[in-house]
Amino acid sequence: MLDFLQTLSDGVLFGATYALIGIGFTLVFGVMHKINMAYAAASIGGAYAGLLVLKALATAPAWMVFLGAFLAGGVLGWVVYAACFHFIPLSSPLAPLMSTVGMLLLIDEVIVHLTAGMPQNYPAMFDDVMLRAGAFTLRGDLLLVFGVSLLCMIGLLALLYRTRLGLATRAVSQQAVAAQLCGIRVARVNALTFVITGLLGGVAGAMIGASVGTLSPLITMPLTVKGLIVTVIGGLGSIPGAIIAGLLVGGLENVFQLYRGVTERDLYVMLLLFAFLVFRPGGLFSRT
Amino acid sequence: MDFYFGLGQLIGVHTLLGLSAYIVLLTGQVSLAQAAFFAVGAYAAAMLTVLTGWHIVPALGVGSFLGAVTACAVGFPALRVKGLMLVIATLAFGEGVRLLFFNFDYQVAKGDLKVGPLGGEGFRQIRFFPEHGWTTGEVMLFIWVFVGGVMALLWWFDRSRYGAVLRAVGEDELAAQSVGLSLTAVKVSAMTVGGAIAGLGGGLYAHYTTHIEHASFNILMATFAIAYPIVGGLRNVFGTLAAVLFVQAFLVEGLRGLGDWRNLLFGALIVLSMNLRPHGLFGRRGA
Repeated sequence: MLDFLQTLSDGVLFGATYALIGIGFTLVFGVMHKINMAYAAASIGGAYAGLLVLKALATAPAWMVFLGAFLAGGVLGWVVYAACFHFIPLSSPLAPLMSTVGMLLLIDEVIVHLTAGMPQNYPAMFDDVMLRAGAFTLRGDLLLVFGVSLLCMIGLLALLYRTRLGLATRAVSQQAVAAQLCGIRVARVNALTFVITGLLGGVAGAMIGASVGTLSPLITMPLTVKGLIVTVIGGLGSIPGAIIAGLLVGGLENVFQLYRGVTERDLYVMLLLFAFLVFRPGGLFSRT
Repeated sequence: MDFYFGLGQLIGVHTLLGLSAYIVLLTGQVSLAQAAFFAVGAYAAAMLTVLTGWHIVPALGVGSFLGAVTACAVGFPALRVKGLMLVIATLAFGEGVRLLFFNFDYQVAKGDLKVGPLGGEGFRQIRFFPEHGWTTGEVMLFIWVFVGGVMALLWWFDRSRYGAVLRAVGEDELAAQSVGLSLTAVKVSAMTVGGAIAGLGGGLYAHYTTHIEHASFNILMATFAIAYPIVGGLRNVFGTLAAVLFVQAFLVEGLRGLGDWRNLLFGALIVLSMNLRPHGLFGRRGA
C-alpha cells in the first residue's frame, strides 16, 4: 500500500510536466484547430537552449537555466509558427501537419548535431531536500517541478481570463471570422498563442530535465505521444481537462510501471487512451 | 551493382508503405497506424517462413491478410472520431502495436539455434532468400513485381467508380453522405486496403533485411508513410513513387557526401516544400 501511494504521488508530481505539454497542444488546437506536432520537440529544444546559460556563465544557478529555457521556448514557439503555419493556407489540413513533423525532425537533428548525440546533464534545485512522513517521502526536486508547473498554469489562466490578449485569444478560438470582424488581428493572436505555448513548453522541458537529471533528444518522441494522449483524455481544446489528464497519466503510468515493469508500462497508457476514445471521445469533462 | 539493387529493394518497400497511406489519405483521413500494419505483416510473414517453413508467396499473402484484418478492426472504432482525433488515435494504436511486439516472445529450437521473435532483441535469422539462393537482383525484381501490381491496382481504382467514391468522401463528407454514400463503409474499406498493402510491404521488408525489431516500426516510419503521399501529392500514385525516390534516392543516398548535415536538411526540406507547395510537389496548384 505504501509502495502504491509513494509511486502514485511521485507520478502525479512528475505528471505536472505532461499537463504543461498537454496544455500547449490543446491551446494551439483550440485557437487554430491544428496540431503542432513539433511542440514537444520545441519544448525540449528550449530546455537545451537554457543550458547555453551555463555555457556562458559556468556558476549560474539553476533558476537562471530555467529562465533561459522559458525565454528560449517562447522564441522557438514563434519560429515554429513562422516556419510551419504562417505561409500555409488554413484550408489545407495536411500541409501544417506535415510541416510540423518536418520541424520535429529538424529540431531533433539540430540537438543531436550540436551535442554530438550525448545526453546532457541538467541542473536541478532542492534535489537534496526530502520531506518525510514515516516511510513516505516527497522528493524536493519533484515538488519544485510540481510547484513551478502549477505557477505556470495559474499564470496562463490569468492571462486567458484577465487580459485583453486573453479575451482576443478566446474570441478567435470560438469564431475566428467573427473575431476578425470585431477588429482582432487573427494572425497576430495565432502567433502570440505559439509564443505563449512555447514559453510553457520551455518550462516543461526544463522541469523534465531537472527531475530526470539529464536531457536527451530521444525523449522528444515519447513526450510527443504522451502530450497528445493527455490532450485527448482531457478533451481537445480543454485546458482544465489537460491539467487533470496530465496528472492522471503521470500517476497511473508510474503505478503501471510498479506492477507490470517498464517495458509494458506504456502499453497500458495506450489502453487507457482507447478506453477514453471509445467511451468518452469528448474527454474527461465532455457533457455528452 | 548490388548496392543499387539493395537501394531498389528499399525504394520498392517504401513505395508500398507510402501507397498504403495514399489510399487512406484519398478519403481525407490521416492514419499514423500504417507502421503498425506494416509490423503485423512483417512479423506474420517472417514467422511463417522461418518457423513453419512456408514458401514466401503464401506467407506474404497471410501477412497482407492479417494487415488488412488489423486495419479493418482499427477502422471501426477509430473512424468514429474525426480529423485530428483520428491522427492521435492511430498514432497511439501504432505505438501500442509496437509495444506489443516489444513484449512478444515466441522462440522455437531449430537445429542447434533458437529462432523466432524475442522481445526487445527482435527477430533475427529471417533467411528465406539466402537459404534459397536468391541473388540481390532477383529479390529486387520480386519486390518490384508486387510494387508494380499494387500501383496498377490503385491506378485502376482511381479510374473506377470506387476511386471516385473515395475522393468524394475526401473532398466533402457531407456532400458524399447526401448522395447516399456510407461514410463508415468507404473509410473502413480504404483503411482495409491500406492495411493489406502495408502488410505486404512489411512481409517483403522482413525478408530483405533478415532482421526486424520493434524499434523500426516507430512513429518515424508512420510519419514517413504519410509523408510520401503528402509530399508527392495525391493526384495519382506516381506522386508517391516520386516522393519516395526524392527522399530515399536523392536525400538519403544522393546527399550521403554531406554526412551529418543530411539529416538536418531532411527536416528543413519538408518544411520548405510544404510552405511552397502545400498540396504536394506534384499536386494541384492553388488552394
